[in-house]
Amino acid sequence: MATNTFIERQRSFCALGGALLTATALPDTVPILHASMGCGTSIYFNQIGSTGYLGAGYCGGTATPSSNVGENEIVFGGLDRLREQVTNTLKIVEGKLYIVLTGCMTDIIGDDIQAIVREFRADGAPLIGAETGGFKGDGYRGYDLLLQALFRDFVEPRSEKVKKKVNLWGIVPGQDPFWRGNLGHLGHLLGRLGLQVNTFFNRGAGLDELREAGDAGLNIVASRTYGIEAAQAFEEVHGTPFLSAALPIGPTATEAFLRQVASALAISERKVNGLIAEEARRYYGYIDRIADAYNDLDFQRYAVVVGDANYAPAITRFLANDFGWLPELTVVTDDLPEGRRGSVRADLTDLASGYKTKLVFETDTSEVARLLAEIWPRSNGQRLYDAFSPAFVVGSALDREFALGIGAGHLSVSFPVGNRVVLNRGYTGYEGAMSLIEDLLSVVVAAR
Amino acid sequence: MSDIDEKVAPRREDRLGAGCVYGGNACGLKAQFGGCRLRANQRGFGQGSICQLLPGTAMLSTLPNTVVILHGSLGCGGAINLQTSNVRYRQLLGGERNPQGAIWMTSNLDERDVVSGGEDKLEKAILAAERRFRPAAIIVVATCVPGIIGDDIDGVAARLQKQVQARILPIHCEGFKTQIMATAYDAIFHSVSRHLLTREGEKRQAPVIADELEKAREKIRRSRLVNLMNFASMSASEQGELTRLLQALGLTVQVFPCYSDPERFVDATEAVLSISSCPTHDDYFLKHLQEKYGVPYILRHMPIGIAATGDWLRDIARFFHLEKEAEALIAQETKELEEALVPFWANLRGKKALVSAGEVRAFSTAAYLQELGIEIVAVRPYHYDEFGESSLDRLVEKQQDVIVNVATIQPYETLNIFEKTKPDLYMGHIADNVWAAKAGVAVVPIWHGGFSSAGYSGAFDLARRINRVLRNPSFNRHLRENLKQPYREAWFAEDAFKYIQEAVTN
Repeated sequence: MATNTFIERQRSFCALGGALLTATALPDTVPILHASMGCGTSIYFNQIGSTGYLGAGYCGGTATPSSNVGENEIVFGGLDRLREQVTNTLKIVEGKLYIVLTGCMTDIIGDDIQAIVREFRADGAPLIGAETGGFKGDGYRGYDLLLQALFRDFVEPRSEKVKKKVNLWGIVPGQDPFWRGNLGHLGHLLGRLGLQVNTFFNRGAGLDELREAGDAGLNIVASRTYGIEAAQAFEEVHGTPFLSAALPIGPTATEAFLRQVASALAISERKVNGLIAEEARRYYGYIDRIADAYNDLDFQRYAVVVGDANYAPAITRFLANDFGWLPELTVVTDDLPEGRRGSVRADLTDLASGYKTKLVFETDTSEVARLLAEIWPRSNGQRLYDAFSPAFVVGSALDREFALGIGAGHLSVSFPVGNRVVLNRGYTGYEGAMSLIEDLLSVVVAAR
Repeated sequence: MSDIDEKVAPRREDRLGAGCVYGGNACGLKAQFGGCRLRANQRGFGQGSICQLLPGTAMLSTLPNTVVILHGSLGCGGAINLQTSNVRYRQLLGGERNPQGAIWMTSNLDERDVVSGGEDKLEKAILAAERRFRPAAIIVVATCVPGIIGDDIDGVAARLQKQVQARILPIHCEGFKTQIMATAYDAIFHSVSRHLLTREGEKRQAPVIADELEKAREKIRRSRLVNLMNFASMSASEQGELTRLLQALGLTVQVFPCYSDPERFVDATEAVLSISSCPTHDDYFLKHLQEKYGVPYILRHMPIGIAATGDWLRDIARFFHLEKEAEALIAQETKELEEALVPFWANLRGKKALVSAGEVRAFSTAAYLQELGIEIVAVRPYHYDEFGESSLDRLVEKQQDVIVNVATIQPYETLNIFEKTKPDLYMGHIADNVWAAKAGVAVVPIWHGGFSSAGYSGAFDLARRINRVLRNPSFNRHLRENLKQPYREAWFAEDAFKYIQEAVTN
């Protein structure tokens, strides 16, 4: 439930958008919108403009089947139209899984889509449904709602668990423009711990991986905030426990992440120490060769980190703990109710480096400048003024104006990212931290 | 009572008999339309379409000095994250070193508001917009949810107007209310006409006149003052080209509505003529300017292509009795253009194209492609009404049998036509092009922010782009070889219009 206020330049999809992006991230999957005629394309426009130019994919974007309900359906109910739409979708569009997703209008009029879904399932159609009306929340909420539906109605029950098999989620397709790379890096690392890892949405993963996910010994949610209810639903339906870990970026956080996973699965200390040592050696092998420039050119920066509840704390921790920067202000832009803020706070209270950041929950873009002015008083004309400089803003495309306004460098990492193109890049783990360093420092040296 | 006196502009289905579901040829389309109304056909299989909110925010987000508040769930308006890139581009072109992009808010209606109403949140948003940005206008756009829960945005706007300096414009843009996305233009112009065409407070300062000669000059200038209507998908270079042509006829040009300050809209009432460059976009507003303020208008051609641009200029010149000057200008411009096009002929002639866009742009662009020697296999206007007729006629003059598929996107129909007609070139809007690309053909986007296709320089630019893209479509060929379209093979053997359910009567 939201914090009951308007948002200025919000940084997410609606619930339907999050669910749609999640559905289109699954292989061979066909979403069917039961919504007003404009919802699909509006979401697609946001997708193109905000997620590093992530395209429609197999059957998303303007190809997304949609019942396009109008006044008639809103007055008389939309189920007949939905039944017709599903029937014809199955005839025309090829898929291994079809997912009905509702929008605001059909949720408000109370169309019982599950009744239609049951009809088609009874005939053997691979169809599920989720109620994802936009007013139910943001894109992260839509992701969670769809995951719950997938775990309840698509993942097959397995009573025997495979101890070394894990499912990994918490990195939200589209809402995180770097979801593919981020899932890829973490999946790879966990694989090196000897685990069989399902990431569902990552490139190359097939639908079978999701269908057969029910025998996993552990679910790993790489987020303190997203996909948690889905993990609870999974546990309730399939009996697999879960752990929730902060999104790990860089050696300090990734080491903690690996130890958390290892301890939950009783993986030997020797094995996890070996992996951590090997990864750290590799990471510092690269750092070795940038250390000259870091020190010769004074690469340290004050920083403001603006982003979602995964990225803002994760990047702040990397900058403070590993990279020696000064993230004075961390702004979490999600519309989180008080009850869901605690874990984010906890992750930033005791930083390994002892560095203290100011954490604020603020949804509104233009407020970031005011928040910085509160903690770092503007110059009142004194000749010797301790300026917030040299500075860097790690945020979204919406924070460029703020960054340029304070003379800071800027990198878009968190939604919306309309000024970068993203394919397989990711920022998690050791590998991702190196990409992040490349991207940050390339901005610093761009004018040289 | 005129439409303007009502709270809400009528739907285009009702006002213009517009429709967006048809498949066949031009002759059949015109017969079904019958000069007044397309049948309310439906599709038994639909894909995500475009509601009026999308062109609505495209236009509104261009307005400088304005905050746009989407009253609805937080997803509505997210398209601005893409649309703002054009706004930023124009701000950069205008010399802004740190462009803001579009400033917008969502009232973020949630489950509680759906039950108990969202007016309080909207009020808070309006007050915050005023406090934070001190804009000239605050535009409140009602989306689906308030349309169904019954929020009174006009009431909220009227109530808060007393405490807020910015003009508050309520706009009714509920997606489910109309199938014709172009209703958005009427919804916006409706509110603009009700709220921005009167001067409040001080009267306009008369210009300082130095002497009698200056006075005469000013009088002549005022007698040549025209409103040039642009639209969100008119690029800066297109606007520059059309302005150049009008200035070449000695006219003084002021441009509305996109990128025009809300405080300037009232100047539109002082022009001697309004000139549309897209009839589908402007008729509601220009008719109002004529009815209420006596400003006549020209609303016939979109100046895309050689013949259409000439006709557009001739209509304007006739109004000012400048026929001779216009013919000289047209002759000179056409000669230069045709010479410049010569190197492209070899590569363009005989190619086949499929074109999809808003009705007038689709027909006009297709007719220009014909002028370049390209055959049109099908044209797919987003909707159809009387404003498409003259440009459709131009197109059909050369090819009577051209397929006309009225559809707001619906790529399953496009691809079916595609596989049967095998064009070499596709021109469509953003969100639509990728499916043609995956079919392996060359794609030239029919519009984007840096694009030009209007007037003579636009005609050259468009030909130049087509020539370039046709030189190496290998990127898209690889898409066809390596990726799969989502449709079953059987679909391509079916009639493209199989799922169109014709209404029995108009």
